[in-house]
Amino acid sequence: MHIPDGFLDPVVIILTYVLLVIYGVFAFKRIKRTLNTENTPLVSVLSASIFAAQMLNWPIPGGTSLHFVGGALAGVMLGPWLGFLTMFIVLIVQCLVFHDGGITALGANSLNMAIIDVLVGYAIYRLTVKTFKSKDPPRMLAAFLGGWLGITIAGIACGLEIGYSQAFPYGVSITVPIMAGWHAVLGIIEGTITALTVAYLRKRAPHIIFAER
Amino acid sequence: MILILVFISPIFGVLLADMVGYHEPLDVVAEALNLPDLTELINWTPLLDYTIPGLPAEAGYAVAGLVGILIILGIGFLLSKIVGRT
Repeated sequence: MHIPDGFLDPVVIILTYVLLVIYGVFAFKRIKRTLNTENTPLVSVLSASIFAAQMLNWPIPGGTSLHFVGGALAGVMLGPWLGFLTMFIVLIVQCLVFHDGGITALGANSLNMAIIDVLVGYAIYRLTVKTFKSKDPPRMLAAFLGGWLGITIAGIACGLEIGYSQAFPYGVSITVPIMAGWHAVLGIIEGTITALTVAYLRKRAPHIIFAER
Repeated sequence: MILILVFISPIFGVLLADMVGYHEPLDVVAEALNLPDLTELINWTPLLDYTIPGLPAEAGYAVAGLVGILIILGIGFLLSKIVGRT
């Protein structure tokens, strides 16, 4: 899902950077209030774990791949603001140190993976848990749906960004269904890993799951 | 756990990738459409695509992973210092 340099038009680049800055300023105020000596190590370790998990590209015969993204997991575990910080640390290190994701696309990549994926994952988890109000199986379903829908909607956003860029010869009528369909399928793996991780954490350290509060 | 992920990562990122002719999905699209590959033209890092100059791809991928994790933990350490002071 990391968009490289050369894919996005200046208008899309500027628009996505502006959205990132506006959201980042808003998030920064919340992060300043919530970040403390207890949750800072969680942000750091979760960032490192997601970075490592993203290095495990599962190649798919035919020349493509899938990897765990982790935005929804970050949202469920740490909430929308610290989840954003967690994913943004991963993305900025990938971009600046390894050129994984373009510098011109950092706004778009952050919008997709650090904002949309995190927010959707968090919101769906909360909504599902509140709807069912009972114990483990619905919570696993909530985490699965959060992971699955988070990555699918982030894929749709990615389709919009490249579809509205003239550098890309196909418009949104093609890019959005392809990105949505592809990510809806890959999202089953994302949802499963998110659900298993949340289930494990609920058993071992339930107090650290922000979306349960 | 993180170290295990890093040490097995070359199996996925290099060995299996070579077996199936893997590219990043959006890179595959760029090649099919003859879009210019700006990543190498405007590259600023010697660690491009998780490689370490002078190291074989498999070892380079794992070492690059360690470098990334150390940088992230370093950022976390700085954040802890800042939070601890306030």
